Amino acid sequence: MILLDHVTKIYPGDKKPALDDVTLHIEPNEFVFLIGKSGAGKSTLMKMITKEEDPDSGKIIIGGIDLDYIKRRHIPHYRRRLGVVFQDFKLLPRRTVYENVAFALEIAGMSTREIRHTVPKVLELVGLTEQANKFPSQLSGGQQQRVSIARSVARQPKILIADEPTGNLDKLTSAEIISLLQKINDFGTTVLVTTHEEAIVNNLDKRVITLKNGRIVADQKTHGIYKLDGDPEVIIDNSPKAPGFALKGDQIISSTAKPKTKSSKTATPKKSRVKRKVA
Amino acid sequence: MNNSAAKKATKKNLKTLTKNGRTRKIRSARRIAKYGAINFGRNIWLSTAATLVMTITLVILSVTFVASVVLSETATAMRDKIDITLFFKPGTGKETLEVLKQVITKEPNVKSVETRTSEEEYENFLKENADNELLIETLEDPSMDMRSVMISTMQATMRLKVYDTDNLDPIKNIVASDINFVKNLDETEEPTYDVNQAEIATITRWANIATTGGIALSAIFIVISILVIFNTIRMAIFSRREEIYMEKLVGADSYFIRGPFLVEAQLSGIVSGVLASTICFFGFRFIEPRLSSYGINVSTVANILNSNKLVLVILAMIFAGGLIGSISARLAIQKYLRNPSK
Repeated sequence: MILLDHVTKIYPGDKKPALDDVTLHIEPNEFVFLIGKSGAGKSTLMKMITKEEDPDSGKIIIGGIDLDYIKRRHIPHYRRRLGVVFQDFKLLPRRTVYENVAFALEIAGMSTREIRHTVPKVLELVGLTEQANKFPSQLSGGQQQRVSIARSVARQPKILIADEPTGNLDKLTSAEIISLLQKINDFGTTVLVTTHEEAIVNNLDKRVITLKNGRIVADQKTHGIYKLDGDPEVIIDNSPKAPGFALKGDQIISSTAKPKTKSSKTATPKKSRVKRKVA
Repeated sequence: MNNSAAKKATKKNLKTLTKNGRTRKIRSARRIAKYGAINFGRNIWLSTAATLVMTITLVILSVTFVASVVLSETATAMRDKIDITLFFKPGTGKETLEVLKQVITKEPNVKSVETRTSEEEYENFLKENADNELLIETLEDPSMDMRSVMISTMQATMRLKVYDTDNLDPIKNIVASDINFVKNLDETEEPTYDVNQAEIATITRWANIATTGGIALSAIFIVISILVIFNTIRMAIFSRREEIYMEKLVGADSYFIRGPFLVEAQLSGIVSGVLASTICFFGFRFIEPRLSSYGINVSTVANILNSNKLVLVILAMIFAGGLIGSISARLAIQKYLRNPSK
């Protein structure tokens, strides 16, 4: 579904690459966390996927589309296949919640009848039916992020990418947003979430890709506690007995032990493959 | 996946993506118009500012246009006052004057020719002095036969109007060299182009200044006005560049992003066209008698405003407002469509 093959990106004026020979493959219906500190290259990778930036070398194929061959005029069409959620929500401030969600459908040329049918259902999914006629400035951060998610899933994209979706939210609201993303993933959408909040990652049993200095330093199912604050060194222990991650320094993780967080209790069961349908 | 396979798959996928039916285009056009109108209302302060600037601009353009028409008319009137009079010997007949007229008319600079025989000059003299009863009585007294005396002494005349008063040499040459002219000219009175040389030069200079100045002023005002409007709309779009960026990221086509901005600018243009027409109409009505009292000819503009052409003027103003708004908005938004994050 998402394939990056030896992708490298160096911004003009920079000596170090923002992405350095990154190769990854995300299967359909996967829920993947992309973690790393600020400057690790997460946002650059997201921008590559949304075709805001082009790689200096390497190949990116998203949903069967080789981004090398996308012409400028095709970019909007390509982006409509993606659902994108941002840390700062990026809602249209002069449009109501309903209009923000409807906008994603209008640009795709959907009929007004279809839009009237779809938008209320999507708003119901994210729990914002009551707020439909409010403007973004009248909503809380969590509600705004829900609108952003509603807008991105309204077209029922096969891929949803979320760049630090909880970055501006408190812990409780963050948990709600992640839960919503999981729900969307359960409907069959491939979800890629960037974050630098270890609590979010540790609460779920999902695949985690770790970026550091533009390189992928780990790509494993989670089995431990991530600590990205301070100056941790995330490494991969490749020994067969310890397939998980380990942290250097004071922040120690057990590569085999289940994390002692509430995630162990609330870990998402294997997702059931629900027919891809928003309502 | 090898390169050619990837390219083939991408092409196939893109083909499905870019299906862009007629229905979709009609829907998009409707939505663009709707959002343009909604945005005009929701951004009421920016809309008001843009509309006012555009109104002022259109008023300036209209005033400049009216001024240039008035100046042009004044210049034409001044030029029309310039004529060259040639004096022929008393008794020169109508046939001879007709021959002379045909000769001089061949000169391209000659605009019109009017000839009068001695009799006609005398009749005209009587007409001009109709108020002077004593003079008329004396001249028409049959016992004195003043009429014959006057006609035998009055010169026949030829009055020329020319296109270019700076280029009289060809006419002078004809008058000096053509045998018919040489034979019939009254040597006692010189043609007036020599006598009026200074006046002709002065009038010509002022007429040229008036015309050139009108064109230059119009051009300067048009450029300044468009720059002011462009800047106002650019500021309005600059304050909303983040929206443009968001819309691009969500997958909106450039025309779908640009459209509402153009509609907003056109609405501003239309409203300002109506406002400017109203201001100009009543402004002109107010100032017209004052201008006329100074002898300035405003009849052309007054005639337009008093006829059905007034509707055309209002439509032209609305069209001009909409056009200037659209061009400015299109130029201003282009930068953010290319580099939405800048």
